[in-house]
Amino acid sequence: MQKKRSGLTRRTFLRGTAAAVAAPMIVSASALGRDGRVPASERIIVGGIGIGNRGSHDLRWMLPEADVQFVATCDPQKARREAVKKLVDTNYGNTDCKVYSDTRQFLAERTDIDAVLVTTGDRWHALASIMAMRAGKDVFSEKPSAMTLAEGQGVVETARRYGRIYQTGVQRLSEGNFIFCNEMVKLGRLGKVHTVRAHIAPWDAAEMRHDWLPEQPLPPKDQVDWDAWLGPCPWRPYNAAYCSGGWRGHYDFHTSCIGEWGAHTFAQCQEAIGQERSSAVEYGYVANESGDGMKTRFSNGVIMTLERGNKWWRGSCGVRYEGDEGWVAAADGYSQPDVSSPAMLADFRKIVSDYLARTGRAPSHMRNWLDCIKSRRPAVADEVLMHRTMTTVHAANVCMWLKRDLKFDPAKEEFVNDAEANRFCSRAMREPWTI
Amino acid sequence: MRNTVMSKNKVMVLLAAVVMASLVLPCRAQTVPAASEMGRLIGVLKSDATYEAKVTACRQLSFIGSERAVAPLAALLGDEKLSHMARYGLEPMPYGAVDDAFLAALGQVKGKPLVGVITSIGVRGDVRAIAPLGKLLTATDADIVEAAARSLGSIGTADAGNVLQAGLATAPAARQWAFYEGMLRCGEKLTAGQPAAAAAIYDVLRASDKPHHVRAGGVRGALLARQGRERGQLLGEYLRSNDYIVFAAAVQTTQELAGPRVTAALAAALADAPVDHQLLILQAMAERNDAAALEAVYGLAKSGQKAVRLAAIKALPDIAQATGPVLVDLMFDADGEIAKAAQDSFAAMSGPQADAVVLDMLGSSETARQLRALDLMGRRRMSGMTDALLKASRDNDEAVRSASIALLGDMAEAGQFPMLVDLLLKASGRSEIRAAERAISSTCTREARLGGGNIVIHKAVYGAVGEGGRANVTKQVAQMVESGSASITASNAGFGDPAQGVVKQLQIEYSVEGVRQSVTVRENDTATLAASVVPAAFIDQLCAAAAKASGEQKAALLRVLRTTGSPRGLAAVVAATKDADRTVADEAVSLLCGWPTAEALGEVLKLAEATDTKTQILAVRGAIRLIPLQAASDAKKLAGFAAIAPRVQRVEEKRLLLGALGQVATAESLAIAAPYLDDAGTRNEASLAVVTIAEALLKGPDAAKQAAGLIAPLEKAGRANNADLAKRAGDLLAEAKKQAR
Repeated sequence: MQKKRSGLTRRTFLRGTAAAVAAPMIVSASALGRDGRVPASERIIVGGIGIGNRGSHDLRWMLPEADVQFVATCDPQKARREAVKKLVDTNYGNTDCKVYSDTRQFLAERTDIDAVLVTTGDRWHALASIMAMRAGKDVFSEKPSAMTLAEGQGVVETARRYGRIYQTGVQRLSEGNFIFCNEMVKLGRLGKVHTVRAHIAPWDAAEMRHDWLPEQPLPPKDQVDWDAWLGPCPWRPYNAAYCSGGWRGHYDFHTSCIGEWGAHTFAQCQEAIGQERSSAVEYGYVANESGDGMKTRFSNGVIMTLERGNKWWRGSCGVRYEGDEGWVAAADGYSQPDVSSPAMLADFRKIVSDYLARTGRAPSHMRNWLDCIKSRRPAVADEVLMHRTMTTVHAANVCMWLKRDLKFDPAKEEFVNDAEANRFCSRAMREPWTI
Repeated sequence: MRNTVMSKNKVMVLLAAVVMASLVLPCRAQTVPAASEMGRLIGVLKSDATYEAKVTACRQLSFIGSERAVAPLAALLGDEKLSHMARYGLEPMPYGAVDDAFLAALGQVKGKPLVGVITSIGVRGDVRAIAPLGKLLTATDADIVEAAARSLGSIGTADAGNVLQAGLATAPAARQWAFYEGMLRCGEKLTAGQPAAAAAIYDVLRASDKPHHVRAGGVRGALLARQGRERGQLLGEYLRSNDYIVFAAAVQTTQELAGPRVTAALAAALADAPVDHQLLILQAMAERNDAAALEAVYGLAKSGQKAVRLAAIKALPDIAQATGPVLVDLMFDADGEIAKAAQDSFAAMSGPQADAVVLDMLGSSETARQLRALDLMGRRRMSGMTDALLKASRDNDEAVRSASIALLGDMAEAGQFPMLVDLLLKASGRSEIRAAERAISSTCTREARLGGGNIVIHKAVYGAVGEGGRANVTKQVAQMVESGSASITASNAGFGDPAQGVVKQLQIEYSVEGVRQSVTVRENDTATLAASVVPAAFIDQLCAAAAKASGEQKAALLRVLRTTGSPRGLAAVVAATKDADRTVADEAVSLLCGWPTAEALGEVLKLAEATDTKTQILAVRGAIRLIPLQAASDAKKLAGFAAIAPRVQRVEEKRLLLGALGQVATAESLAIAAPYLDDAGTRNEASLAVVTIAEALLKGPDAAKQAAGLIAPLEKAGRANNADLAKRAGDLLAEAKKQAR
């Protein structure tokens, strides 16, 4: 297979890095670590698993990066894998992108691939990420990146076990408006923060569907490999709607309206209040269909409330942080954050640029992952952040399913003296799949 | 490119919301059944119910099943179709009977169900299964072998480790991956209690013939399983290795290892390492926050290859607070990139030691150092430094004085407001006065009382800047304000698109605690409503100071008072228009004519009677701007326009007047505007005003009565140089003639 070369040598790359004032993060091209045979001049070789609509957005962010070569995609649906091939081949002006339908075959054969973009439906995110890391790949996984607490633990353990770099796709942690909001908390500009508000998706509910859609004739396996599509989930008969996004709202496949946006907004909130390495310890049940208004409490006393409507925002995936000296809020589509005092925005650029200088992170989630693949430093939304914030999502869901208040112990990673709730921490995967 | 992607993304989110709602809203079910349902669910399993019903029963038993449900579920473990769901029901149950059932099934079930049972045994960690699982490591079915290897790893005893190691020796290459995984899991379980056994496993995995990530995992485990000198020796070897895989794994592992020995090992490896290795080691040292690394890192920060220098500078503040003085030197490096990196690093430092270094710099006799210190104080938000800043505000150098005053303004608290006013009164030099003025203004803004409830939205219009569609968005803006937002973004996303393909703006008229204000922003900008009122004590102090100040200082105080929009500030400015100092009086006239609220209109109209041209022009412009801001009837506003019209002499003010008249759609405003249609210099603006007014009148209740009077002005407006405007006038003329019949 012919690869498109970047033309960069390791030395020129280093010089280029040194000149990048805006991103003083130092990276080493030879840190890729594929069998020790990798010439430092090579790009990061990337493959994809389950790239559909959302994955195509990720791919479009990735393809312009000069140090990436996307070489192959794997999907049980022919139409999707062919669409990705077309997109990639058009970008590179060749026909080199390979397609696979079997994840295990893909990972076993493509030992040349350094890193994998996992953008399947929720049911496959953790399993595919774990399989890829077991095969020595670094991983960017779309969110929600784990269906259960056990899946999240599996991602964390596997990343550590093999020294892999993992990033979950909560890209707002790398966007200026949201960085500003989180920095306002961390710099103490809001005084003592007592409440954070996290947007949850306005569609669907916390209680999900347990029924099956009507059975339809199974397409040829080459078109849709239905067994592979289901993966670790309980078997059910084929219906085309599942494959075109209709899997959402089904208990076996989805993490509810709480996980849909909470994967983003809980991560942002927990990072802001320094709880991204922990989870909420108390969950207050609310008698509605979505969890709107649920109060969760962290061990530092901060309350995070789940908010479904547009009371606080005029865009999607909003967060709002309230302290005793002011508040900030942001959501998608804002040209700048909302603030309690206009004077707060005077330092907007300085605060964001100081954050970027201090952390060495790029103001691009994809770029941050690529940089970390080289530097071997944890990504901004690494496996621990993903697992801990998704744990809060899972616990909030369990709270709604059991219809009662819950307490969770982040150290032991279990509900406190609550055998009933602890039964929700894992789900047996359909053979032969396992984490 | 990215913006396009993001924008499409947002569209996708909205579309997804609609699609998802239509797809998933029906058929939601309660996840957890009542405990009393268990008997019925067990009955379903034993019946000839549908497959779907049995799947559901298994899932629900996983939530509520007691020990009584174990046997009925276990009976399905050999069922090709239901084995998975039986495990689904059994796996989370906290009963020993479940382990017994899985162990029994291990010797009975075949094929895929066996793979599942092996996996469940691993999840539950049943040590009794080690021997039977070990036998399965040589099975012909790859899925069985891999599941057994992983489950043995999850069980994670020394015996399980031995079984795996023995199996690895004879396993075909294609299946060795599962053995590696199992051994790594075993190593993790053994590290705490049986580190020697763990180390033995990892030593196998870190051998050079293993895949790269397995070696990396082996290196990590081998280091974690060892202690003291043995660990230090191994770490040192890897940190000096030319094999990047094991070198990088060792560096990454140091993030999990505490203690000075590890820091020392990193520092020792740093000096002679290749550049790539130095970069990685420096990042690891930065993560450690260990002052023991200072000397080695500083050495690289001072000289050498630039990439390494930058990495070292970046690492310094994380290593120790004591690095402050080191970074100070580097801030003045001849290489600007190095200097900036040092400044950025220092700005990120916190703590009293760094504060002390900054204060020491501020006390320097070198202006460059003092200015750098002031910049760092601002970036680091060093509070409680008032005395030092006040001292600097008396420095011999005006740049230092100005920067100190500006910083005082950035960080002053309400109680320090008199101090800022005093600084302004004592300031000398234009730069210093400006700095003091900005300091006072920013403190006023910062300390202003907040509250969305204070804001009343009177009118909000989103639409074309020039000609084109407009939408009344008063209700939406009021709702945003009510929800706590004082910043409103002018965007189609928020208000729809009333004028496609045209640049739009958002105009908001509102009042804060009765003080009327207005703001206009272009599309995609954000209007920040002045949702705040400056404390009365501040106004008092500003007025008192203005009364006794003179010259530039007084002018500066008046400018600040204008930004407050307060009635007392207005009175002070009015009084100053008669100041003996011509400079102050001119400034006061300018401020009065630019006053933000309609309360100034009476005084402005008086100024319009002035004999000097400059004052008259300013006043006429001010009046034209203020008249529509009045909370008054159209008749009163028109009376204002009529009163000012004779003073409008120059074409520039005539155009302003016509623009304002368009906002008041009455026959009287038309009468004022119509004569300007005959003036070539104002024809277009007059045509626009006439067309705007005529459009409103022809839609009003008295359209038929007004129509005849519109015909002549519209005929003239039809001769405008703007084709679109001429067409609109033509259309309206036809309508007016029709209604006038």
